[in-house]
Amino acid sequence: MYLSLNWLKDFVNIPRSVSAEDLGLKLTTHTVEIDGVIKEAKKYDNIVVGKIKEVKPHPNADKLQLALVDIGSGEERIVCGASNIIVGQKVPVALVGAKLPNGVEITEAEIRGIKSRGMLCAEDELGLGNDHLGILILDKKARVGQNFGECLGLKDVIYEVDNKSITHRPDLWSHYGMAREVATFLNAKTTKLFNKLGQEEIMPDSEDVEVSVKVEDQKLCPRYMAVVMDSIKIQASPEWLRERLIAVGERPVNNIVDITNYAMLELGQPLHAFDARFLKAEFSTDNKVKIGVRRAKKGEIITTLDGEKKDLDESMLLITDQIKPVAIAGVMGGENSEINNETTAIVLESANFDFVSVRKTSSLLGLRTEASKRFEKALDPNFCEPALKRVIELIKQVCPTAKVVSKVADEKKFKLNQGPIELDLNWLADFIGGEVERDKAVNILVSLGFIVDGKKDKLLVTVPTWRATKDISIKEDLAEEIVRIIGYDNLKFKMPGVEMKAPELNKERQFEREIKNVLAGSGLTEVKNYSFVGVDQLKKLGVEYNKHIRLVNPITKDSGLLRQSLATNLILNVKTNQARNDHFEIFEIGNVFLPIEGNLPRNNKDGTVLPMQVKRLGILVAGEEGTDVFGCAKGAIELLASYFHLSVKYEAMETGPAWAKSGYNAQIMLGKEIIGSISRVSQNSSRKYNIKKAVAIVELDLNKLYQTVRAQGGYRHEEFARFPALIRDLAFVVSEKVLYNDIRNEILGFSELIKKVELFDVYRNEKLGSSKKNLAFHIVYQTNRTLTGEEVDEVQAKLIKKLKDRFEAQIRDF
Amino acid sequence: MKEEIIKIKEEILSELKKIKESKALSDLETKYLGRKGKLTVFLKQIANLSDEEKQKIGRLANETKQEMIRKFKEARSVISGETEAGFIDVTLPGEKRLLGHLHPITIVQNELEDLFRSMGFMVLDGPELESDYFNFEALNIPKSHPARDMQDTFYIATPHPNPLPHPQPLSFARRGERKERGQEEASVDQSDMVMRTHTSPVQVRGMLKYGAPLRCVAPGRVFRAEAIDAVHEHTFDQMEGLMVDKNISIGNLIAVMKELINSMFGRAVETRVRPGYFPFVEPGIELDIKCTICLGKGCPGCKHSGWLELLPAGQVHPRVLEYGGIDPNKYSGFAFGLGLTRLAMMKYKINDIRLFNSGDLRFLKQF
Repeated sequence: MYLSLNWLKDFVNIPRSVSAEDLGLKLTTHTVEIDGVIKEAKKYDNIVVGKIKEVKPHPNADKLQLALVDIGSGEERIVCGASNIIVGQKVPVALVGAKLPNGVEITEAEIRGIKSRGMLCAEDELGLGNDHLGILILDKKARVGQNFGECLGLKDVIYEVDNKSITHRPDLWSHYGMAREVATFLNAKTTKLFNKLGQEEIMPDSEDVEVSVKVEDQKLCPRYMAVVMDSIKIQASPEWLRERLIAVGERPVNNIVDITNYAMLELGQPLHAFDARFLKAEFSTDNKVKIGVRRAKKGEIITTLDGEKKDLDESMLLITDQIKPVAIAGVMGGENSEINNETTAIVLESANFDFVSVRKTSSLLGLRTEASKRFEKALDPNFCEPALKRVIELIKQVCPTAKVVSKVADEKKFKLNQGPIELDLNWLADFIGGEVERDKAVNILVSLGFIVDGKKDKLLVTVPTWRATKDISIKEDLAEEIVRIIGYDNLKFKMPGVEMKAPELNKERQFEREIKNVLAGSGLTEVKNYSFVGVDQLKKLGVEYNKHIRLVNPITKDSGLLRQSLATNLILNVKTNQARNDHFEIFEIGNVFLPIEGNLPRNNKDGTVLPMQVKRLGILVAGEEGTDVFGCAKGAIELLASYFHLSVKYEAMETGPAWAKSGYNAQIMLGKEIIGSISRVSQNSSRKYNIKKAVAIVELDLNKLYQTVRAQGGYRHEEFARFPALIRDLAFVVSEKVLYNDIRNEILGFSELIKKVELFDVYRNEKLGSSKKNLAFHIVYQTNRTLTGEEVDEVQAKLIKKLKDRFEAQIRDF
Repeated sequence: MKEEIIKIKEEILSELKKIKESKALSDLETKYLGRKGKLTVFLKQIANLSDEEKQKIGRLANETKQEMIRKFKEARSVISGETEAGFIDVTLPGEKRLLGHLHPITIVQNELEDLFRSMGFMVLDGPELESDYFNFEALNIPKSHPARDMQDTFYIATPHPNPLPHPQPLSFARRGERKERGQEEASVDQSDMVMRTHTSPVQVRGMLKYGAPLRCVAPGRVFRAEAIDAVHEHTFDQMEGLMVDKNISIGNLIAVMKELINSMFGRAVETRVRPGYFPFVEPGIELDIKCTICLGKGCPGCKHSGWLELLPAGQVHPRVLEYGGIDPNKYSGFAFGLGLTRLAMMKYKINDIRLFNSGDLRFLKQF
């Protein structure tokens, strides 16, 4: 929303010592966020008054002319399309570098072979009206070379208000409301106009017309005022009115529409004018206007002022005449009763509508208007009356022939909770963190329109109606009023005096951090991927997508589902990086979302729970085709396990994820607990994603890992063995199908003397024969006495025999 | 004879000290130890001595010669890096060891968690898929509250027995057009769950779990249904903070926030506090800091205001305390929110928010 400084000055005497910039800053620190302070003349930077010295036809185009323009500092040749220019006229010239209010930037251009340095402007291009037919011709007295803004006498300053910062303040969507704030924080006086605005009674000039209003749902429409005016002449608004509207970004239309807009911008109350001729029944024959306020019927249609057809439903509120809808309540008027140049009689509406209903309707229709923006903040129904009075006053001023020809219809039913609220000044001091003098507190509240009563430290504060719709209801609300006017930066800042206490440690979070540090410390890079996946993406990977939790309103088709695995997005990281990296290792810790019941409550009432959300650790290793990415990824897991003094085991998995290469899937076990799995991406999946690397992916359940680490308790150091170990190496060839796990278990379980088995080499070559592998182990013999070489050799010999028998192992010599 | 050997030795040592480069060294070596070198020639004379003298001088002569050879070697290795194994280039880099990288958000989050823990705050977690109840209602944002417009929310669809292959991106469709798609609408009915739009729901979850007094922060991922560009993301990170105790005042709130900011930046930072509206606090404030780029002079980074919006905060609304099971007549408190993503952007001067979730190693390997 835009605020005009000149307009504010109608209502509050701003001391000269307060500059325009100061006022902007003060508005920001006391009331609302000001996004920008714009000096109006600035709008027309690089636009100057020019005098036409010569007009020639364009040599290459019939409809264009070539003008030579004196711009004070020199002359420019400018190509012009309009035909209304003649030598000697003064016109607005946008020079190279100018930015017009409609966004067009002026650059040097070549038009049909002729260079043109600038542009002669029409009214609409300058944001001054709708006329586009001819160049705007200026007064003869205009000074050549003068800045166009100065020429217009623009001295106003415009404040751009951040609308978000007034979501809770229906009273601040107007100059009048803002002026009250300004007067309070500047401790300045309001003007006479402020105090008398909209106070004068409406005296009908006649009661020729009978206007009646029937409100079916008074909850949705707490108040509806209507009055009829006749002998109106539709024409352009006077200059002062147009200027004000333009200054705050509103485009002038005609006097009646402009005045309703003006009153809204001034008082915050949206108003609407219907052409009385089009309201049945039957203004023209019976001198009667019957207005209805009702919910729409299913399937009902209205064409709004913007020319769009809108489908309505029962949740929407309509304004109707005897037979048809003429407006969507609080949102937009209908085309069928729009004011046009032939309009002579109007019905003025000043009404109040339920904020929820207006908000819903406007969002369902995708139609946000200046009116709906205000209604949805919960306007004070008491605004209707002064606003209607103000409109009538303005219409009579601008269009002196106009007459009020009916009584004012006023259907209302509303009740506001104005308190009083008890405000204990001792409580206030505790809450703010410093004493506030009674007089000071009272003055602030009174200046903002509150009525203050009560004795000594206990104030009884009555809330003004315009703050009582939703905004202010508890003592904390009053505290805010006082503290923001005093200024937050003027408070005493003091650290809280609380008991010193060590915070409870979030062990899981700490654990997560350790994992990240270990992995990053050993060469992996942390990534963060989106929590969303797409149907096509999952289809390509062959992953079933029907069971995924869905978004109602995804940003793109590729992000409509919640991920159930980290792997699906990690794979995409390969695509991003494969062109620039031969080999890379990444990891991610993040949540996956499963369509089963989790353990966190949805609310504090009915025991329902949220879907299961599990934190996972994903590790991806990508390398050149033929490199052992599978082993590399395992290495990362083993490193992590060893950091926590654990050892992992792998169990072959019959089937892995749909995207995995068959035979390259293993479960990752800690003791008997499966904590995750590792797989290689299949060639088929790689091809679909245009992945040119060998890729292995690990996915672990972080909580399971955490529980296992926790279950082993604190780590205790191991004493050095008192008797030396004897180490024997053993290498043999077995079929690929014989699993390492089985061999290892066999050796470990073979004798009590065998303490440790460590695989130190695996190799395959043609000499061994196909689908054979050579495994080489260190076998560590140790017990609680000194072992002799002979007894160890004896055990080793038996072991070799056992391995031959069980695994058909061919023992190799060193 | 003995004296002469010692004299030559001292001569060599003193000349060696002056040598700075390898050519001079070679010349010097030839001069004394070469075939016709001074020391070599002198030692040859020993052959002419008597056996008794030979024995006496011979040992000294030999030791001296060996010592000199060693000295020249040492000098050479000092000058040109020649060792017994041969020449090495000492300027070469060392053996490569691989260091990985933490995500910039993780780094910033760790720093802040540590800072808050040092001030007695617990670190809490909350669900990313959150209920309407905790994300809005319990934060004093009832249905149809205009504040719901302030945040574009991702809504979770109710499970449907036969979902359509594609959920439609509604945010691009004009909402008024939704009806025309008729059938499709049935498959994307809105449930009472959302992707959390802020970390604030952890406030209420924390209060319900731990009661008062309470000091906690909750970092994490949040979601907004927004189209992505250099400054907008639908997925980013925040950190929520909450302190509830007896007699916690607005003055306390601002004091803690200032302490926090000074620690974060490692210096005293000028701040300004102004009103701000958030339904779950009353009053609500916005804490701005002097622009870190232009130091208050005004630049595009601070929209020429000289100030950067950093910290929305406020006194916890009594209704929110009640939702958290805490008696607002006994306790008060404050809450605040920090944009982790934004802080990381400020810290590392990152001007494209999309990089964080890009998975691009060119970016990630810089941290």
